[in-house]
Amino acid sequence: MSADPADLAFLSARQIAALVRERKVSPVEITRVYLERIERLDSRLRAYITVVPDKALETARAAETAVMCGQPLGPLHGVPYAVKDQFDTAGVRTTSGSRILEDHVPVEDATTISRLNSAGGILLGKLNLTEFALGGTQQFPFGQPRNPWNLDHDPGGSSSGSGIAVAAGLCAASLGEDTGGSVRSPASFCGVVGLRPTWSRVSRHGSFPLSWSMDTPGPLARTVEDVAWLLQAIAGYDAKDPLSSRAPVPEYAGPLADGVRGLRVGIVRELTFGPDTDAEVREAVLEAVRCLERLGAVTEEISLRLVPFAGAIFMALADADGAGVHHRWLRSRPGDYDQGTRRRLLTASLIPAAIQQRAARARALLRAEMREALARLDLLLCPTAHQAAPPIAAARGAITGRQEVAGRFFTRRSYVTPAALAGLPAIAVPCGFTRSGLPISLQLIGRHFDEATVLRAAHAYEQQSEWSRRRPPGTS
Amino acid sequence: MSDLTTEQVGALAAALGLPVTADDLAEMTHRLNALIEALEPLAELPLEAVEPVPGLGEASAS
Repeated sequence: MSADPADLAFLSARQIAALVRERKVSPVEITRVYLERIERLDSRLRAYITVVPDKALETARAAETAVMCGQPLGPLHGVPYAVKDQFDTAGVRTTSGSRILEDHVPVEDATTISRLNSAGGILLGKLNLTEFALGGTQQFPFGQPRNPWNLDHDPGGSSSGSGIAVAAGLCAASLGEDTGGSVRSPASFCGVVGLRPTWSRVSRHGSFPLSWSMDTPGPLARTVEDVAWLLQAIAGYDAKDPLSSRAPVPEYAGPLADGVRGLRVGIVRELTFGPDTDAEVREAVLEAVRCLERLGAVTEEISLRLVPFAGAIFMALADADGAGVHHRWLRSRPGDYDQGTRRRLLTASLIPAAIQQRAARARALLRAEMREALARLDLLLCPTAHQAAPPIAAARGAITGRQEVAGRFFTRRSYVTPAALAGLPAIAVPCGFTRSGLPISLQLIGRHFDEATVLRAAHAYEQQSEWSRRRPPGTS
Repeated sequence: MSDLTTEQVGALAAALGLPVTADDLAEMTHRLNALIEALEPLAELPLEAVEPVPGLGEASAS
């Protein structure tokens, strides 16, 4: 197929799979397109920590042979993808974004990687992240990841590279991990779609842990349909993860076209109309609400009084879990951590038990509040982030006061952590741009294991908007 | 709960065998006091009647 390589690079994963199946694009050709773009663009974006060109081309050649021989093809056959460097990849180093693991080469793939490969995906490489998926990294050991819409701005985290690579056309789709917003935040800041599935829907085996009760692998892509197909590939019980659910996996892509007519959607007042939400973000989200109403959704405002505390509740619990994970290295290799990571984990090591108990009990109340709302509503709606991507410099330097802690950590996390604390599925989907050209994102939260409704509503909105079709400057 | 001082945070860290610098201590104290302050209003809720579990049964039900 003769086409502008940039046009090929920005095709959806499903379009690529269809062209491969129809023998209009070769897996080798599309893999070379992405490898060339990574070589040309990634020195300034820093989406990737490790690229595996030889392995990718070897896989692509095998995929091409399978097509030419008429062998059975998986749903993602010939689709080049990349993964957050938090997931183990056999024979390919997996750093978790830290110098501590810079030479770590796993012998086994994470279950999610095995499943994406079985679906026909071609692994391009490992993507940058905040150190150990924590957030607050000051000096990225493998290069500062940058937002493709404005290189001086934050791409979001912790799955930073997963958002950048999809937005900039450096892969067709990616995998991230969302403990407290780490898929949805980079999706929001980079202008792509990101899904946090229901906790336990996707195996965590082979993913470096942060918090056992919240860690959730999730896909990022340029369309909701792609996210649905990636979820289809990775969802389901895994004997290697005892906490993975045995609940049957439904079909996700089929119902996408069912629309939103009659769906009841609750607009979360505290997060949509609250004082922390930027006016441009609020207006874009409310325009999306009007769009969903025109499509037949029935909306109403609801109040969830505990969500403003969600960021702090999350950090009291997840950070304490993280301190447990890191307790040996904190004592034996403190100098190998980034300063921001080390201080966050050291602080978490000292959280009083009474405070953790208060947070754990408040989490249970928050879950009950959300469950009650979703007993009569199909979806909850709010911004994914209170503002568009801030400048990288805004989160640099030592913390010199407690107000700074609230500003850097609690406020923005209160938009993405309610779904994490409640174990609910949530999607981030582009819903506009600021006047300065940075993406804005809508968040839809659904009932446990009802990813199908979340995806269906996001798809219906996406079909009515043009935001997903824009490309960041300098990525042609 | 009253504010923790850097001396108190340092003593806690030392008791746990955590290697911290003076700069670490100053920032850790801000972080810890901010977290405690942010969660203070939750003490007004009827938390004693709540089971502090993450609700795994519900999420993993088949």
